[in-house]
Amino acid sequence: MHFISCCLRRSTVSIAVSRSLLVKRLFCSGWPGDDTIYSLSSGQGKCGVAVVRVSGPASALAVRRLTRSLPAPRTASLRSISHPQSKELLDRGLVLWFPGPASFTGEDSAEFHIHGGPAVISGVLQALGSLPGLRPAEAGEFTRRAFYAGKLDLTEVEGLSDLIHAETEAQRRQALRQMAGDLGRIYQDWTDQLKRCLAHVEAFIDFSEDELIEDGVLNDVDRAVQQLQTDMENHLSDERRGERLRSGVHVVIAGSTNAGKSSLLNLLTQRPAAIVSPTAGTTRDVLEVPLDIGGYPVLLSDTAGLRDTSDSVEQEGVRRARQRVEQADLSLVVVDLTQLPSERRHVPVFLRGHLKNILERSSQQQQHILILNESDLVSAEQQRSIQTSLQELSGAPSACFLSCHSRDGLEELLTLLHNTLKTLCGDPLIGSPTLTQTRHRTHLQKSIEALQQYHEYRDVDLALAAEGLRLGLLSLGRITGRVSPEEILDVIFRDFCIGK
Amino acid sequence: MTAVKPAETQSSQHDIYIEISKNSVTLQVSVPQLSHMLVRRLQFLKTLSTCSIEASNIHTQHYDVIVVGGGHAGSEAVAAASRIGAKTLLITQKIQTIGALSCNPSLGGVGKGHLVREIDALDGVMGRAGDWAGIHFSILNRSKGPAVWGLRAQLDRQRYKDFMQSELLSTPLVTILEGSVQDLLLTEADPGKPGKHKVYGICLANGGGEIHSSSVVLTTGTFLSGALFMGQNTTPGGRMGDPPSCAGLSHNLKNVLGLKIGRLRTGTPPRIVKDSIDFSLTSVCLPDSSPTPFSFINKHTHCTPKEQLPCFLTYTTPGVEKVVKESSHLNSHIQQDIKGPRYCPSIESKVLRFPGRQHQVWLEPEGLTSSLMYPQGLSMTMPLEMQLRLIREIPGLQHAKIQTPGYGVQYDFVCPTQLFPWLQLKNTQGLFLAGQINGTTGYEEAAAQGLWAGVNAGRTSLSMSPLSLSRTQSYIGVLIDDLVCHGVTEPYRMFTSRAEFRTSLRPDNADLRLTIRGFEEIGCVSEQRYNKALLVQASLKQALSTLQSIHLSAARWRDKLGGVTISKTKSSILNGVEVLQYKDVTFQMLASSFQELFGPHLEISERLKVEALYHPHCEKQRREMEKMQTEESLSLPNDIDYLALPISLSQEVREILDRVRPSTLGAAARLPGITPAAIVHLFNYVHRNKHRNHM
Repeated sequence: MHFISCCLRRSTVSIAVSRSLLVKRLFCSGWPGDDTIYSLSSGQGKCGVAVVRVSGPASALAVRRLTRSLPAPRTASLRSISHPQSKELLDRGLVLWFPGPASFTGEDSAEFHIHGGPAVISGVLQALGSLPGLRPAEAGEFTRRAFYAGKLDLTEVEGLSDLIHAETEAQRRQALRQMAGDLGRIYQDWTDQLKRCLAHVEAFIDFSEDELIEDGVLNDVDRAVQQLQTDMENHLSDERRGERLRSGVHVVIAGSTNAGKSSLLNLLTQRPAAIVSPTAGTTRDVLEVPLDIGGYPVLLSDTAGLRDTSDSVEQEGVRRARQRVEQADLSLVVVDLTQLPSERRHVPVFLRGHLKNILERSSQQQQHILILNESDLVSAEQQRSIQTSLQELSGAPSACFLSCHSRDGLEELLTLLHNTLKTLCGDPLIGSPTLTQTRHRTHLQKSIEALQQYHEYRDVDLALAAEGLRLGLLSLGRITGRVSPEEILDVIFRDFCIGK
Repeated sequence: MTAVKPAETQSSQHDIYIEISKNSVTLQVSVPQLSHMLVRRLQFLKTLSTCSIEASNIHTQHYDVIVVGGGHAGSEAVAAASRIGAKTLLITQKIQTIGALSCNPSLGGVGKGHLVREIDALDGVMGRAGDWAGIHFSILNRSKGPAVWGLRAQLDRQRYKDFMQSELLSTPLVTILEGSVQDLLLTEADPGKPGKHKVYGICLANGGGEIHSSSVVLTTGTFLSGALFMGQNTTPGGRMGDPPSCAGLSHNLKNVLGLKIGRLRTGTPPRIVKDSIDFSLTSVCLPDSSPTPFSFINKHTHCTPKEQLPCFLTYTTPGVEKVVKESSHLNSHIQQDIKGPRYCPSIESKVLRFPGRQHQVWLEPEGLTSSLMYPQGLSMTMPLEMQLRLIREIPGLQHAKIQTPGYGVQYDFVCPTQLFPWLQLKNTQGLFLAGQINGTTGYEEAAAQGLWAGVNAGRTSLSMSPLSLSRTQSYIGVLIDDLVCHGVTEPYRMFTSRAEFRTSLRPDNADLRLTIRGFEEIGCVSEQRYNKALLVQASLKQALSTLQSIHLSAARWRDKLGGVTISKTKSSILNGVEVLQYKDVTFQMLASSFQELFGPHLEISERLKVEALYHPHCEKQRREMEKMQTEESLSLPNDIDYLALPISLSQEVREILDRVRPSTLGAAARLPGITPAAIVHLFNYVHRNKHRNHM
């Protein structure tokens, strides 16, 4: 087959045929070429400039679709970079175009030098992933391609392979981190289900003629694959996820009514984005402001104060506030110091109850900062006493005193925020959650496409249908880890009695 | 015994007769009528010089290759080594068991049929033997796509053996000796080549003396420390009715060569007297009305469609389960903690692992005139009287008589990670292993390895470099790669799910994948077969590119092809290959519309249909295959000291590499636990070494 295909690709095979029968010779298109790969090749996380590298035959297409034109080879050109589908402007940056073979990998390749925030980076990566024929590079893939093209000299190899090692390690740790959460469980569950589907189809192929495998097996697989596709599609179209990918870390300000949440928002944004009034319940909806805190993109949202209310509009506001807190990466819980119980020994109990009420549905991964507002209204002695009570509170979040009026404590708050964001976005080697999610999205998308092949071929050719499941599992496996043929056989022998 | 003409008969110039008795060989000029049990006809074609063999000087003869064992692996090894041009000696306990089907009387199936096709594409014997001996041909998985079609046949045991023996006895350069091997003759390794030891021949048992050779292929099957089990009885041996092989070989492998040895078990069902079966209580399974031959060079099978015999299907009952449970304390085979196969378990383990179910029992003919039936699915090791009780619980077998009881076999195997992909032991130059000794099960798996070990034993003895088959090219490549990279924990059997490029490695295109390379590079394929494959290749190529060149609108195609369903809008343009992908479109239909263009290719119309169907998918796989091939083409020297290699590798990776010692970068990349960074380092290392060697 192999050589036949090769021969077919050459359109030069001449055949003596009567011309009238040949309508057109359209040989040029229709052959899926090599994969084009992309990845962030500078360090991840906070950095001034990030470099996204693309290599493979679709590199020129990628540059054109993101920047509208191809710059002169090997010349840095400043371009607007926008999403090919939504046309949304992602960044302005330097674009370099290296036609092969005079490039790092020997293939056509390109570099986007963009601003280093996770939001920009993930936006550009996502834009690349939306183009046909492009996929995220595997660890070390650029270097491997360069090797095979004979492009690296031997001293370069050592340094690069160390980099790849670090990258791989970081990815592994990142994957582990991700896998521990709910998302990890979802992906793992899908992988297991798909593994089972594939195993059952494989059993049907390899054994059904000799063994007792009922035809119903395939109908079950049909349903399971359909369900998987639906689940994965719903997951991908989840609005919050897309939003977070574009807008960075979600920080929510929460607390009871009139604790000074909106004042904090105004203080942080340094403009009166939220209407501030002493009337409790002024903020009835969620208010969002994109911010840059120490270089990290943040979507700061102010929420309605959490209280029981009979006002239906406010009730809805409270509901949304709770939802927002649930979904946030970081919650700033604002407490009015003057509302604390006057007896010091009651303070820990009060705070514990208060935090529990506000953060009741937040996940374990979520970070919290307790902001003790109106510090100008309590004495230094009282502050010290509260500080001591906080230490008695086990598992208490980081806390800081602040006066939105006098701005006392703002510096400390910003430092604390910055450090927390740093943890959330990861150190430079560990991909930020958003970047990893961009990878996940691409792989999920590819998996869904592959599963479609199963349905297409189910009644035509089961080998090709199974191929679709294999490819789907391969894509999912890039998130959750490779599934070996042995594991498929394990499922077969567990679920069926195979034996002659 | 009557010699059976092989499919490709070669004219003989000189007939030489060798009379062989245990451990002594006498050469005499004889006439065919004198032939008795131990006289076999040998035809020497090209090597007239070997006609001067004296019986007494077989020991002073130097052979290129000695093959020990005449089962499926041994037979293919002998045939393959001789096709390479090596002077080959086969040593077997009994000539009359060459080509014996020790277990099921059938060949092929899903995955296994792929192997038979590939063996045939490399000019092996198995496919042609199957076509000669088959008495019930059917293609499994007909409805599931040609990539997973399983060519399968029930065989006449006697015909299969006859063909195999006749074939080997008439193969040029081959000498056959009855005997047992006591020892391997070992010496120090040749410096400059990998390995600690080197084999230079064998020593026969019972004072039979030494025979020298450049290579030795061991295909001892289940005979390596083999033990037979029935009920609570254990007897040494590898197959019922045959003497056990010598303990010496086991000792050699274990203690002298220090190889890692494991133990596996398998079993076989009782054979039932046909006349004692009430077939009216079973359902009949008919063969294909038009048998498809295994071999690319056969147009027909030996058996005519009408001569074919049916199989019968019946089921186990709760009574069977009861007997298994009652007999389990009398069954030492299943009580032992030795790995048996999961896919071909005994009825005992099926009942114990999946209680309360009905299990299928196929009743298969043992031959055209045989008085026995083979109950596939009833492999068992309980005491004979319990076996009888058990089968009589099955519909149709209530009055069945057992002719030979079922029994279990436990045997040693050599952990195959100690082999190169060319099936030579890494630590012993010239010593090759093939078949069950490597932890596989099945005739086809054994024959595939035998062929490849024979090719390489022949090549190395004639100072040619050994060769590997890639996973991207063949199931044989997948089989060997799995064995040498991952080892086995249970008897290894081929499944199509093991091949990642399944839609490219199809039974229909094995000749294109292997025959051409088999002639041009490997040297194990006859010119005649090669030319045939070239013709097919050219014809396919031409027909496909013509198909590619025809572009018509869907409406026009519908028109041309008599209103066939094409689910495209009228105006969309399709080429001929795309149209041929439609289920209802056949190449014959295209040929009747485009007589001039496609008429000449009608002979390959089925192959064209398959090619068209898989065309886009094979193209997608091509890149992935090429990547794997690139990595496989970069070999890692076997003598690398991974633990001390001055490159940055984690201790974990070093230990994995040291343990497995992959032969190529590709094999290394597939090992669990190997990181991309490690591959980069290894790549660099290989590259640097290459450069150094060039300087």
